[in-house]
Amino acid sequence: MTLTPLDWIIIVVYLVGCSAAGIWMRRYVRNVEDFAVAGREMDLNLGVASLAATEVGIVTVMYTAQMGFTDGLAGATFGVLGCLAMILIGCTGFVIAPLRNAGVITIPELFEKRFGKHVRWLAGLVVILGGVLNMGIFLSVGGKFLMFVAGLDPKAAFHVPLLGQGLTLGYLELTMTALLAIVLIYTVLGGMISVLITDYLQFIVMGMGIVVTSALVIWTVGWSNLVSQLPEAHKVKVAYQEASDAAAEARAAAEKVAPQGKGESGGSKEPSASTPGEKARLAEIARKSMVAAGIARDAASGDPKEAEAAAAVAARRAAELDAARTAAAKEAIAVAADAQRATEALNDAEKEAAAAAKKAQESALAALRAALRAEVAEQAAQSSSTPSSNPAPAVDQKTLAARQDAERLERLADEARRAANQQAEKVKQAAGEARAAADRAEQAAEHVQSISGGLAMGHPFNPFSRSGKGFGWVLWQALTAIAVSTTWQTTIARVLAARDAATAKQIYRRTSFYYVGRFGLPGVWGIGAFLYFWAIGGLPEGTESLTAMPAYLHTVLPVGILGLVIAAMLAAEMSTDSGYLLTWATVIYNDLIGPCLRKPLSTRGKLLTVRTLVLAIGLFLVFYGLWYEIPGGAWDYLVITGNIYLASLFSLLVGALYWRGANSWGAVSAILLGAIGPLTFLVVNAVVEKEHQISPTVAGLSAFGLAFAGMIVGSTVGRVMGARDGYDLEQSSGEQQ
Amino acid sequence: MIDDAFKWFWTAMVFASVAWYGYLLFHVGIRGGWDIYRMTRALSRPAEKSESGGRPPGA
Repeated sequence: MTLTPLDWIIIVVYLVGCSAAGIWMRRYVRNVEDFAVAGREMDLNLGVASLAATEVGIVTVMYTAQMGFTDGLAGATFGVLGCLAMILIGCTGFVIAPLRNAGVITIPELFEKRFGKHVRWLAGLVVILGGVLNMGIFLSVGGKFLMFVAGLDPKAAFHVPLLGQGLTLGYLELTMTALLAIVLIYTVLGGMISVLITDYLQFIVMGMGIVVTSALVIWTVGWSNLVSQLPEAHKVKVAYQEASDAAAEARAAAEKVAPQGKGESGGSKEPSASTPGEKARLAEIARKSMVAAGIARDAASGDPKEAEAAAAVAARRAAELDAARTAAAKEAIAVAADAQRATEALNDAEKEAAAAAKKAQESALAALRAALRAEVAEQAAQSSSTPSSNPAPAVDQKTLAARQDAERLERLADEARRAANQQAEKVKQAAGEARAAADRAEQAAEHVQSISGGLAMGHPFNPFSRSGKGFGWVLWQALTAIAVSTTWQTTIARVLAARDAATAKQIYRRTSFYYVGRFGLPGVWGIGAFLYFWAIGGLPEGTESLTAMPAYLHTVLPVGILGLVIAAMLAAEMSTDSGYLLTWATVIYNDLIGPCLRKPLSTRGKLLTVRTLVLAIGLFLVFYGLWYEIPGGAWDYLVITGNIYLASLFSLLVGALYWRGANSWGAVSAILLGAIGPLTFLVVNAVVEKEHQISPTVAGLSAFGLAFAGMIVGSTVGRVMGARDGYDLEQSSGEQQ
Repeated sequence: MIDDAFKWFWTAMVFASVAWYGYLLFHVGIRGGWDIYRMTRALSRPAEKSESGGRPPGA
């Protein structure tokens, strides 16, 4: 299905209305404060709309859907943690109340009041580095969504003849550049006032799109169906993992005891239960299932009888595929158990062989000692049988006994050697069997993966599960949720624009549950996509876990609703882009350029500088954002780039606001050490093999640990070195709550 | 047992989210419109505050 005129009308009306409203607000901008924080006149409900709209962009919808696609509902864990963090902060005013009362425009400005100008500049640099890199993928990810949801090829392009050479322009790049141009126009002209008004309109359109799409997906998939099918998909992943792990373990054990040369046979290699013929049959089932689903989809808009028949065929094929997958998973688990048994048998044989070898060694040693004793006794007998004295019969007997003992022990040593050799032979055999079992387990794992079309589902409900995300990941996400809620400049921009600290706290409380839906609802779209592609045997070519959701929406959304969803996602993208552009431009002016100026700029000069910076970041996004390939998952990229400053600035904020002993030494140490974790992760993982890479959880948790350690140790060392404690914020703002 | 608890938890979260989004849409939609009206009126008045400071206490 492609876009109909109704869909186009909805999209165009939205775009024109939103741009006109944004440009109209330009008339209210008089100075930098109006431009950056809307004259601090934002009230509660407008703040809720703006914060919610800014924090949900297409990129948000895409990565949360990707997490739903790979981890089911457990992928929405960050939303629940974010909600709890917002409630906690909204009730206590932790960080945000004193921050708002300090009367600053950006977070680094607060650091100047507390730690001095150099800390403000360094913090501003880190904020910009993390923030702008983080924003770098917004356009490309957003463009992919729009292309897939509209049923267009994301690589489609047209050729423009230019100076006899010609220029190839991609539709994705052109669409996103045009969208960014609209955002730039109203953000440059109206600043935060335009952003607030357009955020409000975007909140309405985006909210409608999210509610309608979520209801449609739940209706199409069926909630009970969703809850019952996800564990089945997870079982297949567990079977794959068990078979792969068992194969690796058996192979490693076999290699350890009996290294195999290249080209050597690995023992008795039995054929796997899945013969090539069986595999081909299962592949055919998957292919037929995909074709049947396509026919059913095409027939759905035609003759009802034909559609019903096609749906029945598709359902039958899907059931066959399910049965084949279940059988493959069962076989993989059985083969994995065989491989584990073979590994255990090998380990037992190895232990017995080691014991036999030890016994043989001890026996040989005893025989050697006895032989030596016999030799000594013989020597003694010879020296005592000199011509001057008669040979002593007692000595002869002693020599004889020693010789007999030595011969007996030598026989025992021979027996022990034979036993050890037999055990070594058994180990060799067991190693061969373990290798064969590893081969079978590997085949079974490959088979499970191929029949699942490469799709895999982590534990779909329990984020603490070992087969899911795990406890360490949840802990890291909880810390990140608190740090994001108190440190992320685009969120804090709404706190600083609020009328007072009480309004800021109220905005947090009211927006808190929005975070659950922010991750949960697009997560459900991702789950819908997973189940859809699971039923038809895998993802089509050119589609991956990130783009599966829009490809799925394209197949299920009816005329009109598709237009609404596209308008909603355009709204989400525009509100996020405008909010982020304005925030980072303000930080660059306020914290990097401002402190370096000898003479403050005039109001007109300040406005012109901030507007130029908004434009410059926009240009950077066009070139970096559209042509940069994301290394790995979108969420990983966002968390890692965000972590460059999240951990360090969070520890700085807590230190600045709540610890009188904090000083500039601690602040600088926290900034540098907090950035080491994510930067090490980026550099090390780019150069080492996959099995030696640092996990994101370790990198993330260490960033927080290092930043806080830097703040405490640095401040303590600074005090010993004679640095004075930071300035008192209450004195500098005169307005603590 | 734990899995069942998580299933119920996520079911409640997802349906509550749909309801909450629907509610916010109307509630914030109406009241946010009023906030915009108030803000534009306040911004139309001549500037009274300093550029970097917050609103004076009690204002």
